Amino acid sequence: MQNPRVHRKTTIACDSVRTRRYLFIFVGEISIWSGGSLVRSTQLILNPSNLNHLGTEQSMMGLSSTTPVSEGVQFCIFDLRRGQHEGQELDKILFFFPADCPFSTQLSVIGLSEGLITFTRIFSPEAACEVIEAEKHSHIFYQAEPDIWMVMVVDKNKEAEAIWRIDALQKVLKEVHSLFVTFHGSVRALLEKEPGGGLVRTHLYSFITDYLTDFLAGKKLQLPSFRDCLKERGTVQMLTVGREAAIDVESLVRVLESSCPGSTPCNSVILFQDLLVSTTLPPDDTLNLFTYAVLRLTPRVLHSATNSWSYLRKGNTSSHVATGSILANVGSPLEDFYASRDTSPVGHVQRYHVPRPLQRGKWSKGKDGFLVTDIWSAEVGSLSSATATVLLQQTEERMYLCVYQHKNLTIILLIPYSSMINGEEGLSIMKQQILENAAVKIMKVEEKLTRGWGGENAYHVSGYRYLLFDSDRSVSRASPPGKVTTVTKDSLLALSKLREEVDLEKLRTKRDDPSHENDLEICIRAKNNAWVIARITRGKELYMVLEKANETLLYASDAVDKFSNRIIPRAKEQ
Amino acid sequence: MFGKPSRVQSSVGLSGSGALSHVYIQHPPLRCSISGSRGLYYDDANKLLLSPTTDQVFAWKTNQLAQQNTPTSDSIGEGPVLSIRYSLEGKVIGIQRSNSEIQFRNRETGEAFIQRCRSESESILGFFWTDCPTCDVILIKTSGLDLFSYEPELKALRLVETKKLNVSWYVYTHESRMILLASGMQCKSFTAFQFSSGGIIRLPRFEMAMAKAEANQKPVLAAEDVHIITIYGRIYCLQVDRVAMLLHFHRFYRDAVVQQGSFPIYSSKIAVNVVDNVILVHQVDAKVVILYDIFSDSHAPISAPLPLLLRGLPRSNVSSSRFSSKDAVQMETNEMSDHEGIVYGDGWTFLIPDLICDATHGTLWRIHLDLEAIAASSSEVSSVLEFLQRRKLESNKAKQLCLAITRTLILERQPVPVVSSAIDTLVTSYLHSVKMGISVQGRPMGGEKTSTSGNQHVDDSRTLADVQTSSMETDGNSIKHGSTSRVENESRQSVSGDVENESIDVTTGSTVNKSSICSDIEENVNLESLGTSSREPLAKNQTGAETSGAEIEQSSLQSQRPGTGGNQSDSDVSEQRESQVASAAISPDEMYRFIFAPVEEEMAGDPAYLVAIIVEYFRSAASEKLKVHPNLNVMTIQLLARSERFAELWLFVLNKIVEPSKEVALQLLECGRQNFQTRKLGTDMLRQLSLHHDYVVLLVQDGYYLEALRYARKNKVHTIRPSLFLEAAFASSNSQHLAAVLRFFSDSIPGFKNTSDYSMYRRILNGMSSSAAA
Repeated sequence: MQNPRVHRKTTIACDSVRTRRYLFIFVGEISIWSGGSLVRSTQLILNPSNLNHLGTEQSMMGLSSTTPVSEGVQFCIFDLRRGQHEGQELDKILFFFPADCPFSTQLSVIGLSEGLITFTRIFSPEAACEVIEAEKHSHIFYQAEPDIWMVMVVDKNKEAEAIWRIDALQKVLKEVHSLFVTFHGSVRALLEKEPGGGLVRTHLYSFITDYLTDFLAGKKLQLPSFRDCLKERGTVQMLTVGREAAIDVESLVRVLESSCPGSTPCNSVILFQDLLVSTTLPPDDTLNLFTYAVLRLTPRVLHSATNSWSYLRKGNTSSHVATGSILANVGSPLEDFYASRDTSPVGHVQRYHVPRPLQRGKWSKGKDGFLVTDIWSAEVGSLSSATATVLLQQTEERMYLCVYQHKNLTIILLIPYSSMINGEEGLSIMKQQILENAAVKIMKVEEKLTRGWGGENAYHVSGYRYLLFDSDRSVSRASPPGKVTTVTKDSLLALSKLREEVDLEKLRTKRDDPSHENDLEICIRAKNNAWVIARITRGKELYMVLEKANETLLYASDAVDKFSNRIIPRAKEQ
Repeated sequence: MFGKPSRVQSSVGLSGSGALSHVYIQHPPLRCSISGSRGLYYDDANKLLLSPTTDQVFAWKTNQLAQQNTPTSDSIGEGPVLSIRYSLEGKVIGIQRSNSEIQFRNRETGEAFIQRCRSESESILGFFWTDCPTCDVILIKTSGLDLFSYEPELKALRLVETKKLNVSWYVYTHESRMILLASGMQCKSFTAFQFSSGGIIRLPRFEMAMAKAEANQKPVLAAEDVHIITIYGRIYCLQVDRVAMLLHFHRFYRDAVVQQGSFPIYSSKIAVNVVDNVILVHQVDAKVVILYDIFSDSHAPISAPLPLLLRGLPRSNVSSSRFSSKDAVQMETNEMSDHEGIVYGDGWTFLIPDLICDATHGTLWRIHLDLEAIAASSSEVSSVLEFLQRRKLESNKAKQLCLAITRTLILERQPVPVVSSAIDTLVTSYLHSVKMGISVQGRPMGGEKTSTSGNQHVDDSRTLADVQTSSMETDGNSIKHGSTSRVENESRQSVSGDVENESIDVTTGSTVNKSSICSDIEENVNLESLGTSSREPLAKNQTGAETSGAEIEQSSLQSQRPGTGGNQSDSDVSEQRESQVASAAISPDEMYRFIFAPVEEEMAGDPAYLVAIIVEYFRSAASEKLKVHPNLNVMTIQLLARSERFAELWLFVLNKIVEPSKEVALQLLECGRQNFQTRKLGTDMLRQLSLHHDYVVLLVQDGYYLEALRYARKNKVHTIRPSLFLEAAFASSNSQHLAAVLRFFSDSIPGFKNTSDYSMYRRILNGMSSSAAA
């Protein structure tokens, strides 16, 4: 038998959670699961005294009207190995958002989180808690690296549509961390490089601040809510390509590869518009580069950056309408806000030259078709180079990042840092070589893909609002955002709820037997008579809303069958 | 030009001849010396070399230069012989006796009659037999052409039509069915006719360009300066311009004659051969040959001028003596061997297409291309491959060379674009041959030999549909040195009417069906029209390299007929085997078996490069809608998996670059032992291919027996034993699952409850539940 493990998603039901460092109280029930069955159920009653009320915490955050930052969201990163001694607790904090939050508040959030982690580790050493659901808040945990924790605290507020799906929020944490590691290496490595923590704080600060600008809607941080339940963060969206075009793409990939010097093979990721066409990287690295490309490199982004800054984050098209104008006036409000403070880690920005890969509007297309940026030009240190470098997660190899763009085609080329002996000079020679060898092929591929491209709504399947998600490959396809907006709030709420349940079920199965995948199908008739459906088959997940469906379950089930038998294979065959 | 001659040779291991020459003649030649011979004549319509004596004519078939080739002999009676031609079906011999008389003699009966000129003012320049539907014999006279039909019953020729023109001299080849009639002071104005089985076409008059030497001196064009050649089914005329030192070539269209270019010449004496659609321009004085392949627009020579090689000359004459014993007419072999080592002797006459006749010594040589040497002499791989792919005579050798060159390219890890263009060449060529309906996969071609040869060549041409060079010939003039068409003044009037009951069934446009009597009658060489009118009715059986439909039909029709030549049996065995392949084109199957499979074995160390090559092949094949060999798909998966390029492997499968098949699916499963995502690709492929049984078995193997049951029920898979599921359920020691499986089969299979499986697992289940209860 396995060791009894705590249900990772320990749900603690309580009226309020009050916390002060290591003293905390729960009134609730902790269920301990093992092998799929309930082992133990414990009532915990802890000392309720000496606690700050979270309500006051909120007022203490004092989001005065001057700050553009959202109320209701806190986001912190801390290291459990630091600040072990009384009085050094601040040392733990590597990042806190909003940065103007009083230290006491910061400490209390971190204190609660740490306590929870310590406590749940008793039952589940490998996977401590993932979430605390309090009455007014949700605390979402993500252990990014050993003992490096990221915690997000969000308000619950039904009126304000602040209804979250935990998994979606966790994916945000995961995404920002993955991107951070891709560009800067792991948090732990930076801590080891400079144990004082200034270096890592500066990096985290600028990186996450830049990252969060994409979530800014007006003055609020708009995190993925139930409205986004028909999309999946942390996945790649692919272009469906015909065989002939696919062969041409592969042929191009070989040419690119052969243009690189040295014996270590270089890698490439090719996008058409915001969709992945080809990759030679494993899924997680592909995902990081894809995410970055869609955030900062694709023609759509470059275009909007140079024109009006009216960047609409892909995921939040519907709710982000106002972003552009505000940002246009303020520049980066977060940055201004931070810059005005002295107490925060922001001071370090001046001490370290930190490249900010996620800073917006920094990339532009050069005359030769390669994208250029000055993000890295100021960098000092061992990796000084004007060309971006990224760290591959699987091979842990550092690579030069070269981006070539022709019309809608974006080609990300990764050249091993070690193979480029003469640095910049070698790179420019290589670029020249690529232009010579591949320019014709690139043009041909772009033309072919443009011809075969079905437009914004290419993957719309009429009558269905769907999300198809392959968890093995981190690939998803969904109804186009414009079509999802026609779905009613009730349906989306129901689907969000359903997804939450499915997330739980998946976790449970995975814990029982990591090698086994359960098939699953759930059809639910929502209040508004819409069918909300989830189906999982061997790692592929399908979520669907049918609003104009017939009365019967059979009809709904048939509709799903039709979709998965006909639409999906066809979509693949096209 | 000689960029890497040694490379290809050494690595491919081909026995090239050291690239010292690109064409050769093979010793021993056909020896056709007869005592009392009055000269040698070449009958190009029948491919016979004729040697008349005082009252006989000996005829050698030139379609094979075998030593034991015994001449046939016919009595022709006494009298001078200016030229001599057998009728197309071989029953009548026409002998020009003087410039006003031609005798026609039935070979079987010996009956003969004489046809004379009517007027004193005209003289006969020559004659030839034709398969034109309206006439059988055409007389060329200084005053024009007389078209006759041969009437054996009447023992006479019946005049069908007369075409009045002034004729200085003429050039005719049966191969092209074209006659060029020269007139004018300089003999450079030409009238041309084509007497094909489709009818008579008169081409517009045209002038040949000639440079002037000096103001007052105008050069006169001679008959030996003009050659009609047939290349890739097109008809050209080569004209030597001695003043400009150029060899002009004109192409005949049905409505125009167009000068297409010129080659420089380096000798005052120029001779021309055509071997397998390659033009050989002999610079006789310099004793070198320049090769041209004017398939495309490029008129550059294939290679540098190189001498003609004589192969197989015995060191002592003894070795060749054994041949002579077999044949009385070759008694002089031993004595003659000395001169046989001399290349470009004074007595050499070059017969289009590919023969060289040494009239002085009575030997006949066939000229061959040395494909290895040509292939080795150029580093331009694509153009070499294109050249080889166009070769028909030694198509198998050409094919082997192509395969070897391509393999070498890959093994030497030449840059991908180089290999890619080579592959493109092969794929395009294959596709072309498929369109033309050529058999590529070694279908026997009716015992055809590799040589361009008389009757048999017909079969050949049927199979080589695109470029039909069915009957090659020269103009049938006498080969006596110097004399071409001037008719001597000797006449005889003996009409030995010679009735043969068979009229020559002169084929019409529908040759295809009617021509079975004459083996050599296929009219494959036709004139295209220059303009857009190329599809007009006259072009019914028009061919040319580009045309298609009728031809393919033709070839398929004809190939069913047994070969007409009776000489198949004695043909060289090895050559015969070689000629099993009709075209050098390389099928996808051969691409895999002879290129990718051997190459993969040899270069196991570098899968990435090989994948790049395969991708290029996929691209090339896909652009031509060609399917690749299924094993290549499997190999691609293996290579990608071996280099752990799982991301690409996924994309290859997802985008169907690798076409789904059961083999591919199984390979994915195999490769997926280390990578579960790849394994899933394999299972998904099985499902998508509706291989339900395999899919269900696989699910059970992976422990998904409940899912497998569900799937089996949904897709009505009844082929799987219940015990398989029961064992799996039992192995999971989950009594609920076992009970579910038992229940499923009890419900779905009638009589399952009576089986031993049921009782056994029922017992086990009871045991499990009781122990759980306890």
